[in-house]
Amino acid sequence: MSSLRLLSSVARNARISSSPAVLKRGYAEATDKIKLSLVLPHQSIFTSQDVVQVNLSAVTGDMGVLANHIPTVESLRPGTLEVIESEGTSKKWFVSGGFATVHPNNSLTINAVEAAPLEDFSAEAVRANLAEAQKVANGNGSEEDKLEASIEVGVYEALQYALSSK
Amino acid sequence: MLAQRTLALRLPAKAANANLTQARNMATLREIEMRLKSVRNIEKITKSMKMIASTKLSKAQRAMNEAKKYGSANTELFQHATAEESPKRKLFIVISSDKGLCGGIHSSVTKATRRGLRGQPISESEGKAVEVDSDSPIVVIGDKSKSQLSRALPKNLTLTVNQIGRDIPTFADAAGVADLITKLDAEYDSVVIVYNKFVSSIAYEAAYMEISNEKILRESSGFRTYEQEDDSTKDLAEFSLANAIYAALVEGHACEMSSRRNAMDNASKNAGDMISSLQLQYNRGRQAAITNELVDIITGNPLNVALSCAHSLISSPKVPVLCNDVDVEQEALIPGSRIIKFKPQGNGISVLHNSALSEPPHTESTSVSQRHCMRALRDI
Repeated sequence: MSSLRLLSSVARNARISSSPAVLKRGYAEATDKIKLSLVLPHQSIFTSQDVVQVNLSAVTGDMGVLANHIPTVESLRPGTLEVIESEGTSKKWFVSGGFATVHPNNSLTINAVEAAPLEDFSAEAVRANLAEAQKVANGNGSEEDKLEASIEVGVYEALQYALSSK
Repeated sequence: MLAQRTLALRLPAKAANANLTQARNMATLREIEMRLKSVRNIEKITKSMKMIASTKLSKAQRAMNEAKKYGSANTELFQHATAEESPKRKLFIVISSDKGLCGGIHSSVTKATRRGLRGQPISESEGKAVEVDSDSPIVVIGDKSKSQLSRALPKNLTLTVNQIGRDIPTFADAAGVADLITKLDAEYDSVVIVYNKFVSSIAYEAAYMEISNEKILRESSGFRTYEQEDDSTKDLAEFSLANAIYAALVEGHACEMSSRRNAMDNASKNAGDMISSLQLQYNRGRQAAITNELVDIITGNPLNVALSCAHSLISSPKVPVLCNDVDVEQEALIPGSRIIKFKPQGNGISVLHNSALSEPPHTESTSVSQRHCMRALRDI
């Protein structure tokens, strides 16, 4: 699948498949920007702001979005979201999940249920909650409870990974 | 002699009339006092409700501004990927709440839903008429709209949710509702969310959001321009539904707070007006009673003077008035008061009439209060 991606990325415009080690190099320079709207139910972090690049972790893999990206709909998995507003400045958030949509008019809309800057998380709390969730997931509750707990485990593990690779 | 007799006959009648009006004024005075007390209490309650609603409104408005940005980001996709043809079978979600005393919030949403089901434009200011299946299912959030709709469209009600709207709605509430709806397994092409749109802090109007479901989304040509690695249309449809419900819930909550504030504000104003007019009436009545008493004292009719003094001292009509004038019908003067008429007889007195007792009195009285009265009278 990755080879197919490489082929299609040659044909299409500016789609980078980046590993968790962030690739800041882009085909478009700081002059071409994409309008980003990153909104949470209780707060909007970006509202139609021009940014250079956005790296997000989609269910299908990590990807970076530059200006004039083709329209696409991606489901997000719990992970880090990095926004590069201009050359050199980047900010990171941990996103719990949601959808990212690139529209035909060069705008990227991300609806996330919860997102917070990485600095706001405490590793201790993450470790404690992860242990508890694992206990419930492996315990003998109802199927629904175990499923919810396993989703929790996934989020906490992704959070730990994001915090460790800051 | 004849002239004198006529004069003599007339005087007691006029005096009796004056006492009658005086008595009536006194009774009405008490009524006015009670009304004043109750209206003052009501004014206190409505004022405090207005204060609470204003503080809740400022918080709700801030949450609404954020939620609106979230909702509009959500519907951007649907603007680009419009449905090919207008879907006939719609699922209506009616957003209201459980509490009352908030003006016309619930009726506005209910009326809009009924308009929508008939095929007329839901919002009064804009929209076009579309054809809608008459047995489209309706999901109601909030007990007040549920009772209104269960009278109007009982067959369409599919699901009702309550206990939402006590505080600012959270995404968890909206996600829960969306989950229930997807589990419903009902047939529909699109979801129409009917809610109250916040126009200003003193005005709101019914509006709607239309969210296509998975099937319609896939068929839309606009949607096909979006590239997807894995097909996440179903997840997208469910997520968008939860987002739209969230935005509508928060805006509806803000409208309800503002409407409750305005309603309680009007109620307090009306109560204030009532209090001032009642107060004026009370003062007028009080002054009239005092004037009448003064007139009685000045004219010098001993019976009326005595009665006026007695009644000005009485705080409650239950206190008995003892009178040894057996001729005048005094119960007529103060309705409900206890008049005990007596006549000295031998060693004691005989009670001729006790208006408090239902059966005719006897010479040998048994009740303690009467005995006390008689002892007191013997000593006079």
